[in-house]
Amino acid sequence: MKTLTIEAKSAEEAKREIAKTLRIAPDYMRFEVETKKGLLGIKKTYEVTGYVDADPVDIGRTTLETFFKNLDIEAEVSVNVNDNNDIEYRIDTDENPVMIGKAGKTLEAIQYYIRNLVNVFTEGHQMVLVDIGGYKANRKKQLEILATKTAKEVARTKVPVKLDPMNAYERRIIHTKLSEWRDVVTLSEGEKPNRYLVIKPKSS
Amino acid sequence: MAVNYEQMIHDLVKPLVVNPDDLVVKKLSDDGNIIAMQIFVHPDDLGRVIGKNGRIANAVRTIAYASASREHKRITINIESF
Repeated sequence: MKTLTIEAKSAEEAKREIAKTLRIAPDYMRFEVETKKGLLGIKKTYEVTGYVDADPVDIGRTTLETFFKNLDIEAEVSVNVNDNNDIEYRIDTDENPVMIGKAGKTLEAIQYYIRNLVNVFTEGHQMVLVDIGGYKANRKKQLEILATKTAKEVARTKVPVKLDPMNAYERRIIHTKLSEWRDVVTLSEGEKPNRYLVIKPKSS
Repeated sequence: MAVNYEQMIHDLVKPLVVNPDDLVVKKLSDDGNIIAMQIFVHPDDLGRVIGKNGRIANAVRTIAYASASREHKRITINIESF
């Protein structure tokens, strides 16, 4: 938990300074104030300690729930911590396609936003994943099928095949799927956002 | 169904900032199709709301854009500090 102690002439000033240094709003902190008398008992100072009193996981969940409520969308948000200690938000709404977006663009934006939000309140970097209506899980399955099918083709014809541009996460799924194949190699080429994967025959 | 986009954007940005009292989200114009939004934040919070290479700002834009598309509207968001 993030914590900081600062001494100042007024308690309010100390609280502001703590919030500014820790870069967390006072609303998310708990403060302990200790009054310190100076020599002769004239100059009073305040020693204030601020503790971050907020659960990053809860903030993420509440923010998502508020978002869907604002849009008048019925939504279920559940949280799970996986084996790699990643926080996973699983969302199911009555308007999943809109929230997933074309090629998962909106989902990607929601994940990026939530990841940054959660990391405001964590010590060190926390991996955060978001899925809507099982989109990512399905997409993974599809990509693995595509990878296997294309790899078989490449192994048979000995002709390299370029796949459509994909984001890093999707390319990784294919690289991983084909990493143990003996007769093909996978490479990423081009620049974001048009970076794509090539499956080549292994020259042996 | 009338969505309050000011409220929605406000609720998305508020937990990110250190100075929530200085956060203002205003609708500049709404011609029925295109809604122009303006976000004002404390100068100390500008970096966090915009993010590296503007990525957080763009994520918020994408989210707002999708949200408005449900009502066949388009949202543009401008972010500034005062």
